[in-house]
Amino acid sequence: MSDEEHHFESKADAGASKTYPQQAGTIRKNGYIVIKGRPCKVVEVSTSKTGKHGHAKCHFVAIDIFNGKKLEDIVPSSHNCDVPHVNRTEFQLIDISEDGFVSLLTENGQTKDDLRLPTDENLLTQIKEGFAAGKDLVVTVMSAMGEEQLCALKDIGPK
Amino acid sequence: MQGFPGVGSDLQTLQASMHAIEHACSLIQMHMNPAEVERVIGSLRSSSMPYQTCRFILEASQMASARFQAAGAIGDAAIREWALLTEENKRSLILFCLNYVMERSSAPEAYVQSKVSSVAARLLKRAWLEFSDSEKVVIFNEVKQSIVGVHGCGPQYAGIHFVELLVSEFSPSTSSAMGLPREFHEQCQSSLERNYLKEFYCWAQAAMLGLADKIMSSSGNVSEERACAGAIRLMFQILNWNFTISDKSNTKSNVLPSGIRHDTVVLKKFDRTLIKPGSAWRDTLISCGHTNWLLNFYGALREKYSYDTLWNDSPLAYSTRQLIVQLCSLAGAVFPSDNGETQIKHLLQILSAILPWVEPPDVIAASIRSGGSESELVDGCHALLSMASLTTTALFDNLLKSLRPYCTVHLLAALTCEVVKALMNNQREEETWAEESLDILLETWNVILEGIYTDRSSISKDGVYAASNLFNVIVESHLKAAADSAFEDADNSEYFHASISKRDERLASYALVARVAAESTVPFLARLFQERFSALSQGLGKSDPTRTLEELYWLLLITGHVLTDSGEGETLLIPEALQMAFPDVVEAAQHPVAMLSWSVIDFSRQCLDPAMRSAYFSPRLMEAVVWFLARWVATYLVPLDTGMGNIKPTISEGVVTNGSQPSRKVLQSFGWENNQGNIILDSAIRISLVALTVYPGENELQALTCQKLLSVLVRRKHICTRVVQLESWREIARAFANENILFSISARSQRSLAETLICAASCLKDSETSLQYLKDVIGPMTACLIENTSRTDLKSVAQQADAIYMVSCLLERLRGAVRATQPRTQKTIFEMGYAVMNPLLSLLEIYKNQSGVVYLVLKFVVDFVDAQVVFLGAKETSILVNFCMQLLQVYSSHNIGKISISLSSSLLSESQSEKYKDLRALLQLLRNMCSKDLVDFSTDAEQEDRPDIAQVVYVGLHIVTPLISLDLLKYPKLSRDYFALVSHMLEVYPEKVAQLNTDAFTHITSTLDLGLRHQDIDVVENCLAAINSLASYHFKERSLGKEGLSLRIVETQGSNGLLQASVTDHFLRLLLQLLLFEDFRTELAGSAADAFLPLILCEQELYQRLIQELLEGQSNPALKSRLASAFNSLTNSNHLSISLDRPNRQKFRKNLHHFLTEISGFVKIK
Repeated sequence: MSDEEHHFESKADAGASKTYPQQAGTIRKNGYIVIKGRPCKVVEVSTSKTGKHGHAKCHFVAIDIFNGKKLEDIVPSSHNCDVPHVNRTEFQLIDISEDGFVSLLTENGQTKDDLRLPTDENLLTQIKEGFAAGKDLVVTVMSAMGEEQLCALKDIGPK
Repeated sequence: MQGFPGVGSDLQTLQASMHAIEHACSLIQMHMNPAEVERVIGSLRSSSMPYQTCRFILEASQMASARFQAAGAIGDAAIREWALLTEENKRSLILFCLNYVMERSSAPEAYVQSKVSSVAARLLKRAWLEFSDSEKVVIFNEVKQSIVGVHGCGPQYAGIHFVELLVSEFSPSTSSAMGLPREFHEQCQSSLERNYLKEFYCWAQAAMLGLADKIMSSSGNVSEERACAGAIRLMFQILNWNFTISDKSNTKSNVLPSGIRHDTVVLKKFDRTLIKPGSAWRDTLISCGHTNWLLNFYGALREKYSYDTLWNDSPLAYSTRQLIVQLCSLAGAVFPSDNGETQIKHLLQILSAILPWVEPPDVIAASIRSGGSESELVDGCHALLSMASLTTTALFDNLLKSLRPYCTVHLLAALTCEVVKALMNNQREEETWAEESLDILLETWNVILEGIYTDRSSISKDGVYAASNLFNVIVESHLKAAADSAFEDADNSEYFHASISKRDERLASYALVARVAAESTVPFLARLFQERFSALSQGLGKSDPTRTLEELYWLLLITGHVLTDSGEGETLLIPEALQMAFPDVVEAAQHPVAMLSWSVIDFSRQCLDPAMRSAYFSPRLMEAVVWFLARWVATYLVPLDTGMGNIKPTISEGVVTNGSQPSRKVLQSFGWENNQGNIILDSAIRISLVALTVYPGENELQALTCQKLLSVLVRRKHICTRVVQLESWREIARAFANENILFSISARSQRSLAETLICAASCLKDSETSLQYLKDVIGPMTACLIENTSRTDLKSVAQQADAIYMVSCLLERLRGAVRATQPRTQKTIFEMGYAVMNPLLSLLEIYKNQSGVVYLVLKFVVDFVDAQVVFLGAKETSILVNFCMQLLQVYSSHNIGKISISLSSSLLSESQSEKYKDLRALLQLLRNMCSKDLVDFSTDAEQEDRPDIAQVVYVGLHIVTPLISLDLLKYPKLSRDYFALVSHMLEVYPEKVAQLNTDAFTHITSTLDLGLRHQDIDVVENCLAAINSLASYHFKERSLGKEGLSLRIVETQGSNGLLQASVTDHFLRLLLQLLLFEDFRTELAGSAADAFLPLILCEQELYQRLIQELLEGQSNPALKSRLASAFNSLTNSNHLSISLDRPNRQKFRKNLHHFLTEISGFVKIK
């Protein structure tokens, strides 16, 4: 065999696929996993065996990265699990509209206006206050399996 | 009462206070409004002179918990205001408490009486060094009268209980804090031991004698029994005392010819210690027949209450047994120096008395199974353990001979058999007694069997036979239990790990028993193994093998333990017992140990056959195989050239062992005979490869293979040089470097596999081959990483799960490789690291949102710096340093000012802890860089071009500290790391601090403010050390006429609001505040003094002004003058001078200690 094998197998267009199979045994705490069709972050992995002389199985406890719900799954550790492609993109925040949408500046100079502000009061005030104070805010948008959400906020200095 | 402190108030005020406290107490009982409760009760505790109020509550309140609080308040207030109380006051407080408990000895709420007693005990200790002997006599006379029973049973118990609390107050481990230095506690301890302890014992003895008569004649008066049990408990507690004055009788040898030992340390495991009260106690404990009386007393009671099964667990029975067991551990000069005769007689006496508790074992076990009490059995086991640790093995074995036709080991074996059976038969039930007694009995076996090698005494034939029988019972009951449990689900992994260490400990003890009777047990194991093995091959494909598999699993474990020691971190040796056994065997093929080894190894090799493997080798069985091989290889493939004399110097000259020399040689060398060694190593590698490739997802097995078996193969040179020559090793290296299959094992296992493979490079003889080997292993990893990071479409593919997984694996592998750095391979590995520096920076950029990858990059760099920095010359150092700075900058630019937002609180806390781990790694990185200045192996001559490490670390700290929010400093490990680094930097390079910019400087000082108030004592100590270095630096600079840190301005809390001040000003105010008004821990006084002195020297004027302010703020003239004189002697006594040399610092430490004991407490009164 040659070292050809070590290259990433994905092609540039493979991003079309929303998930990728990975052996359950190699998924660690803090990795991502799809449980019941939802993209999740693993917060706990434990292993056990099916009968003393059976095969190992992994018990995952994970949290849905979008709605924060806790999900669990048990998978034989040699089987494959779906791992979601979780992308994070940074945009500059241009505007906050009254109906709760944000206006973001994309890399190629377009605007992106289809993203809602978080509903949580605390986060909302954090963003709004920062924006009102005239700070230069960069927001990170997390996307996976066709869903999008604001996930982080960074102050890159006053305007 | 005369001299009772405090001002008397009128009845109404007293009642009002009482009602307030009672109300608060009733709130506690209903779990309501805790803040309010704390405030009310706290105000009583911290008010000035609350004694009259407390006394009133104690005497008048109907509510027990209010009385309890009042008693506590007396104790706290008196300790705090001690300096303000007169002699008269102190004495009357103590007497008040004592009288209170004597008079109300039969009151129902015992916990109140107990609290009042303990307050009396605490105050008496506080006054111990102040009261004259005659004053103490007055107090103790009263107590003695009660204890000997003049005032009846109730006060008798109260007196006994008071002395019990007093003794525990004076024992260092149970004493309560008094804000005084340790010397005080030590003085009290030795004074009590010298003057009173024995007397107390005699009082208790007298009380016991008096009460015993009554108990034996009358039938069951409850309060008499309670007092008697109390007296016995007091005696037990006194014997628990850590005697310090005692033994002058140091015998030269640790073992007397008669077999009594003096060197015992083994008792600790079950919270027992050796009791050496010294010759002064001989009359009380030994010559007056005390033990005998006690034994007879217990025997008589036992007979009297034989109808009552519950009696065994009654307080009286329990405490008497405790005392009896405690008497077993008596040793030293308390016995006359008659070659241990008296002590042997003493032990025999006890042994004969406890025999009925444990004998006959089967009858006793049966009675416990049918509901009887197990206490006597457990205590009997404790007594046996104590005896075993005080005697040589031979003496212990013989002890029973005068009472029974068999030896003690025989009894021990029979007892252990029954306990093992009871345990294995009822595994699912809560049979804690069996667990508990088995632990004690196995510890006893450990003690006597270790004795065989340390004193070369031996066990009788009878004993060996009993041990062999015991081992058979152990194996059979375990095999049965194993087979029965074969179909259960394996346990959850976490629980599994905890129980594994417990299981291993137990198996190791079983193994010791087996080795004593190796002649029969080793062949026995071999036979069982063969039987199971052939049962397996006969049943091939016909029947379900699971039961047999589990039996084999257990047999592999026990065989591994019998043949090898665990020896964590040590070089394993062939167990001495096995070397001594089989003296007549001269041929390897005949040696039972060799035969057992071969049959297990042959069995292991079967897993290389695919058909056998898929039919029988379950992951669990493979785990046992891999574990066994790792231990066996490390133990039996000994270096051939080392003569045996070098390995075992102590034994080979012994008379006992000379005869068995040939069999020793056989055992040392059989592993290598007929090229077997190489074949075994080859199989071990092939088995590892199978475990790694054919068992996908079995992380446990793969971790065991990488971390145990493969690492054993490269650990020692004589094995490793053979291993690297083997084709199979090249195969595994090739598979690792060039094939995809090993990417499917867990990333952590890949790391240790990389480490192992790189380690092996240094055992290749010529450097050319070694270099080539390294390149073959490392090359593909780096090439792959470089090539992939330079892809043009990297941005679009990088975020895909498979790409992330691949990068993570590569980073783990690289990390494993750098951890294997050795002087010979350092250069090549540095080149590898150099090649990936830029790719790593771009990975950090691309994966800035994938915290997992970022963390791996950081950890790789941490390990890389750790492994490399000490070897590097100037040029390489500056390359490395530049890289690290770039890395820090990139990391900081991504993370500074970033806030995660998420709906889920657990996801938020996850992201917080990811941040914490990153920062810890960054601090580790800086610390590792610091080590360059301390240890440097590089041979570079040109010192000038070398980068200034201190400068670099400060810049790094400047980048990292803004990322550490005050919230993050709440993580204990992070704050420890941070403050350790800061204090190290300030101590070693204070001059660089002066050059920091204002922001950085302010940040560091503000974290020090925070650290000073930290819970963790290490952190506070680090902060004090840091302040000490800062101030000392400033002082030295100033005395040289330089400006030092004078220009550094920080905000500080002045007496009227915030103000701008110099650093030393700021810290002086802060420290003064801490020392005087806050809960300052006395154990920190030393470091506080070290920080305080330079601050005072720097800011003398300010210091005087602050003191003046303080004194003016104090309204009470008496306190004011005390305070003034305390401050005066702080800076003037002991000839303190204006310098920071060591003697001066020492003097100041003493002054501060004195100052703190003088004023602590009364300035804090609100």
